[in-house]
Amino acid sequence: MIPDFSMLMPELFLFLWAILVFLIDLFFLKEKKDVLAYVSLLGLAITLVLICIVPEGRTFGTSFISDGFAFFFKIVFIASTMIAVASSGQLISRLRYNRGEYYGLILLTTVGMMFLASAGEMISLYVALELTTIGLFILAAYRKNSVESAEAGLKYLILGAISSAILLFGMSMTYGVTGSTDFARIHDVIQMKLNQGIIKAAWDVHVLGLMMIIAGLSFKLAVVPFHMWAPDVYQGAPTPITSFLSVASKAAGLAALVRILIGAFGIDAFMDDWGIMIAVLASLAMIVGNISAVLQSNIKRMLAYSSIAQAGYILVGLVAMSRYYSFNNTSPWDLGVSSMSFYILGYMFANMGAFAVAIAFSNHYGSDKIRDYAGLAKKSPVLAATMSIFLLSLAGIPPLVGFLAKYYIFASAISAGGYLWLVLIGLLTSVIALFYYASIIRQMYFVEPATDEKVSVPPLLYATIGIAAFCTILIGCYPQPFVTLAEKATSVFGG
Amino acid sequence: MFETYFPIVFLLLVSIAAGGGLYLLSKFLGRKSPESKYMDTPYECGVEPVGDTRERFPVKFYLIAILFIVFDIEVVFMYPWAVVYDRLALFGFIEMLVFIGILLIGYVYILRSGALKWD
Repeated sequence: MIPDFSMLMPELFLFLWAILVFLIDLFFLKEKKDVLAYVSLLGLAITLVLICIVPEGRTFGTSFISDGFAFFFKIVFIASTMIAVASSGQLISRLRYNRGEYYGLILLTTVGMMFLASAGEMISLYVALELTTIGLFILAAYRKNSVESAEAGLKYLILGAISSAILLFGMSMTYGVTGSTDFARIHDVIQMKLNQGIIKAAWDVHVLGLMMIIAGLSFKLAVVPFHMWAPDVYQGAPTPITSFLSVASKAAGLAALVRILIGAFGIDAFMDDWGIMIAVLASLAMIVGNISAVLQSNIKRMLAYSSIAQAGYILVGLVAMSRYYSFNNTSPWDLGVSSMSFYILGYMFANMGAFAVAIAFSNHYGSDKIRDYAGLAKKSPVLAATMSIFLLSLAGIPPLVGFLAKYYIFASAISAGGYLWLVLIGLLTSVIALFYYASIIRQMYFVEPATDEKVSVPPLLYATIGIAAFCTILIGCYPQPFVTLAEKATSVFGG
Repeated sequence: MFETYFPIVFLLLVSIAAGGGLYLLSKFLGRKSPESKYMDTPYECGVEPVGDTRERFPVKFYLIAILFIVFDIEVVFMYPWAVVYDRLALFGFIEMLVFIGILLIGYVYILRSGALKWD
């Protein structure tokens, strides 16, 4: 009767740790509350250890899955949360209110994401998604005296609610035609109906449910045409939260999408359907994201559009999974999943690193305008150099991780066959991307600064930027252990 | 196909004709009344409205209402639990303790952060 809790250890631990953070803030620490960041980092580090030692399998019936895929994504969530927490210090000490809530909510949001990556059933997936997004609504509006931040929170809340409604509608249709909320069971029921040839009558409902689920989760991924909220929310939210949103929230949405698409709809007859849907979304995201990013004058908006485009590149891996599976049943989806996972890993360090530099810059100068980055190389050579590394990695320049990730993901799409046009769009839009990334580098190195005031960066933020830059170079030069890590994610849905 | 849905289409046409026809009739046949400031008031021949509907009042009322719902739901959840308590045995008891414990932390948080202080 009592379910096996051992697989839930990381989630339960982080949940209790989040409550601990709330309580520490309430009962102790009247003055020196900066210690909360270190407490949160300690909790995240312990959770990381727990994730590594947790056993694989299923628990609570089939609603919680612990496998290689969940393992990989949980590591990504924890790492990106660590970067976000480590770069929040100055924001929190300047605003001086609700510090415990800030760190506690980030941790609770991470718990939601971890449950999301492990969801084996639609209800638990939905609850985990809500746990993730509700925390993020509050965090987006955290600078409550700023009009922009309040606008960001409200916009995110309304569009998040609409997307949840669409997702639920799709789920209820799927439940209506299959009679189950469990992914594996849905898979079996559809397969059985196909074998008996009785699916024809309700075929449209299956596809409509699938479409609505993809649309609902695409809001979380912020891919075109479901991206309208992203630039405003990214600009208005506190920058550490923006950076968290652009990586962790996207990875969580992607994990949920993969769970449903492969777990429930991983059937030959459906693969081509959702493959082409995702391919269209990915190509639109790459085109619109990259072209709109060129026009931006605010670095957070530019990175927002760039992250829309990056989500498009990540989805190329998912498209490859659909084809690969239908052609080759013996080793399904391996290349697609591992290339997608590797891309997320590289994207996490580069994108969150770029945001960390933007945080350091705006904390000191109070500006997010690209124009103000003029001559940063003279004012702070380290910040300018690391920013260049991150931007070049995002653009996909050889010695850095971004190049390998793009190569890997395009290679998987080509080997899948039939999606050469998608790869071509990806390559062409990469050229546009290089233009706007390089224009920031030009601004930092070749434009004379207005003042030559030196930037002072707190040590924790410096360390974060340094580690992100180190990883961006390291994974680019010595990718083997990280490819092995990404390949762990391929042991999906087996157990 | 058409026969089955014909009544619905017919009803649709009738309702469009009735609604639109009455509107057009009153437009053509009705007397044009002169403009006056009373035309725009909510009740033309009622009591004159006092003040604005968009009155500001303390957010504390909302806060209390939200907090009430949380603990209200807690009690509501306990009724079915109490009914099947003898069958759930120790496991059910521990589950309920966990549930109450989580809400208790919430209660401590509310008290400590001063959400229940009226002034």
